[in-house]
Amino acid sequence: MPAFFIKLKNGFYKLTKDPAVFASVIIIWIFLIIFILFPLAKILILTFEKSGHFTFSNIAEILAKRNHIKAFWNSLLLATLVGISGTVLGFFFAFTSVRANLSRGWSKFLDAAIILPLISPPFTMAITIIFSFGRRGIITYNLLGFTRFNIYGMHSVLFAETITFFPIAYLTLKAILAGIDPTVEDMAFSLGSSRGRVFNTVTLPLTVPGLANSFLLLFAASLADFATPLILAGNKFPVLPTEAFLQITGLFDIRGGAVLSFILLVPAFTVFVLQRYWVAQKYYVTITGKSGAQTEIKSVAPWARKIFLGICLSICLLILYLYLLLFYASIVKAFGANYEITLKHYVVVFTEGLKAIKDTLIIAITGMFCGGFYGVIIGYLISKKDFISRSSMEIVSLLNYSLPGTIVGIAYLLAFNNPPIAITGTALIIIACYVFRYGATSIRTTVAILQQIDPSIEEASASLGAKSITTFRRITIPLVLPALFNGLGVVFIRSMTAISATIFLVSINWTLITVRILEKMTELELGVAAAFSVLVVTIVFIVIIFINLFLRIFRQEGAADLSNMLGG
Amino acid sequence: MKTKYKLLSFLLTLTLVFSLLLSIAYAAEQTLNAYSIWPENWARPMFEEFEKATGIHVNFIRFSSGEALARVIAEKGNPKVDVLFGGPVATHIAGIAEGVFEPYKPLAFDVLADRFKDPDGYWVGISDDPLVFMSNEDFLKENNLNPPSSWYDLLDPAYEGLMQMADARTSGTAVTRIFSILEVFDRDEEKAFDYMKKLNKSIQVYTKSGGGGTIPVGLGEAGAGIFFIVDALKTQQEGYKVVVSFPKEGIGTSVEAIALIKGAKNPELGKKLIDWASSPAMQNLLSKYKINFVPAHPDVDVEPGLAKVLEGAANVFPIDSKFAGENRKRIVEKWVEEVLPQ
Repeated sequence: MPAFFIKLKNGFYKLTKDPAVFASVIIIWIFLIIFILFPLAKILILTFEKSGHFTFSNIAEILAKRNHIKAFWNSLLLATLVGISGTVLGFFFAFTSVRANLSRGWSKFLDAAIILPLISPPFTMAITIIFSFGRRGIITYNLLGFTRFNIYGMHSVLFAETITFFPIAYLTLKAILAGIDPTVEDMAFSLGSSRGRVFNTVTLPLTVPGLANSFLLLFAASLADFATPLILAGNKFPVLPTEAFLQITGLFDIRGGAVLSFILLVPAFTVFVLQRYWVAQKYYVTITGKSGAQTEIKSVAPWARKIFLGICLSICLLILYLYLLLFYASIVKAFGANYEITLKHYVVVFTEGLKAIKDTLIIAITGMFCGGFYGVIIGYLISKKDFISRSSMEIVSLLNYSLPGTIVGIAYLLAFNNPPIAITGTALIIIACYVFRYGATSIRTTVAILQQIDPSIEEASASLGAKSITTFRRITIPLVLPALFNGLGVVFIRSMTAISATIFLVSINWTLITVRILEKMTELELGVAAAFSVLVVTIVFIVIIFINLFLRIFRQEGAADLSNMLGG
Repeated sequence: MKTKYKLLSFLLTLTLVFSLLLSIAYAAEQTLNAYSIWPENWARPMFEEFEKATGIHVNFIRFSSGEALARVIAEKGNPKVDVLFGGPVATHIAGIAEGVFEPYKPLAFDVLADRFKDPDGYWVGISDDPLVFMSNEDFLKENNLNPPSSWYDLLDPAYEGLMQMADARTSGTAVTRIFSILEVFDRDEEKAFDYMKKLNKSIQVYTKSGGGGTIPVGLGEAGAGIFFIVDALKTQQEGYKVVVSFPKEGIGTSVEAIALIKGAKNPELGKKLIDWASSPAMQNLLSKYKINFVPAHPDVDVEPGLAKVLEGAANVFPIDSKFAGENRKRIVEKWVEEVLPQ
């Protein structure tokens, strides 16, 4: 019998021997098919079908428009530039933080300032950049006296996205740099290498896979970003996610929107594949191996250390300045015209905005529990159980997370507007979107943590006669609890701050704070938009503190920090 | 370890109960659902007054006209709202062709002028809203310019990259602007689009909503723009130093309309809102809330301040709503294809 069939038979045998696993696998697949594969199939069908026939004419039609072609190249260009600049900045920060012998205090400060952009609602950066660098911005006009500075265009989007996304590169690269044993560098030093040579021949080569990974993560993040270009790109620099959004909401051309998002899907999926099959393999080789004997890190000369720290600090101060500005804008009457202190924007937030706050909290909390448990269960199955379709389950479960939100949102709109599953206009569709999109982060955390647990613990339980489910309850659950908390935290944070997918899914009955922020921005109530943003940042910060508190109580050796999970 | 888990389960229960309570908190009796194209600042006080007068609560969400129409069409099979409230009438007329509205002739139907109603009652006008040029005073001074009094004034190099106005894909203001330009050029599309392409050089950014450029003009981030009078005067009322002017070649005014959705879940409540909005009951309140729409009902006086501004408008013409409705999609697509990528 061919090897494949033997494997299949064995896999099936194992499945049926363990009914709990068998049932979970079947149930999970049903969910994955309904909420991930079916919507994506809808986009494909709409893209390639015309009156019942397979055709490329829809794509040709959309690509015949100059604006769309421009948007495609702009998106790729922007994503590449953000990938490069964000990775360089992230590497610089990570290198300074890990290799420049920073004191604990400095290191904590860098971490805290850098995490801000990651937990902010969209538009935050866009609003504060207009406040600072607009034609009447605090910096460009009041400070530097420019009168004709043009804020709209690629330069602003590039700047805003770099500041917003470089923390992802920082978190990715910090873990890798910290994993490089200083003794390796020591060896080079003792052989007489200069610091520059050590950096070029030892440190940098070891980080290359990490750099590639960080580039891809940033590339994908920028490709998917819809909020920043919508505000800052102006009309000379169209990008795909905003074009798809305008095509659907403005021109009511769902097919056009689907085709545009399919075009967006091509580079996004390429990145996903590259990351999974090329970078990921090299990646793990470099970061395994525990740090050996503690030795002083000598990678950076003392004089350089001060300069590095200085540069990092000034960027952190820039970030803090932008957030202070956001807060300031939320407590003055009309930023730019009337700087009288007032609470009226917060009054609006807590009266008119109350419904959005309630809706968002209900959805985020429900999504958090569903998404957290969903992630832990799948993560447990794919890292601890052997069954047919294991690796395809892993790939499918990560799909919605890896693809730009605009695609997922449009796909959901297409799939769930009509029977058999007509759930547009309900909270369910938004929750489902969050669970199957951000639950993926919970899956990855769970897998990462479970891989560090010695299988012998569970085998011991099994050999003592415990059933699979008992072992799971008594042994595995306590072990995965930290993963669960991480997952809950990440799903909650993302649910509070996401917009690209859910902008298509809000309805008269269920709306979200982030959508309200966009609405307030387009109605030019920037004070209210700022107040909403401050509220979201505050809620998310409180939740992070709580989750970290829990993590400290239940902490396992080697468990990752919540902030690391936000990285990618 | 035990106490930890107790603490944990306690907190879990707490969050669940909390979220349940929140969801129960929503259950009003007589509730009507609406998409409002009027910004929340104006729609909310109107709907609150309506609730005071009738006891009917209006549950609403605000969209730009393109988005609102797109939603109504998308939900045709299973309407989520009862009324489409406000917005330039071209939106409503485009909706008739899509079969999303139910005709209803409110009590005020007979006294309304012809241009404020659809003969079959698919929509009725609740107010009139002329477009205006709005410029920043300091900008004009710095460049030694008079307030623009011709469409061609806007092509002056001083305006280059310094005007903000709305994007035709989402905004009814933009659509009205484009149809105004078409009328100014006697519907000669070639000339009109040629002008728009030239005007494109003056544009800093096309905003998503109609009033999106008003505050940037007020702040001096942009020099000037073309807006509905209601947005322009609001900017003035808020204390920004802006000047309103009208072009001598003429500029369009658009009816703001209301329509009942076909297959609405609460048609009777929806009709009550339409009755109320098209009558003096609502339109008398406009001046109280400083909303500078020109009332559509003949018995309602134009607020004196607004009347004064309108005196300066020699040549304001109504947009031919039938022509606009029938050509909206084609013209907007043409604008996206030809003007935007310039």
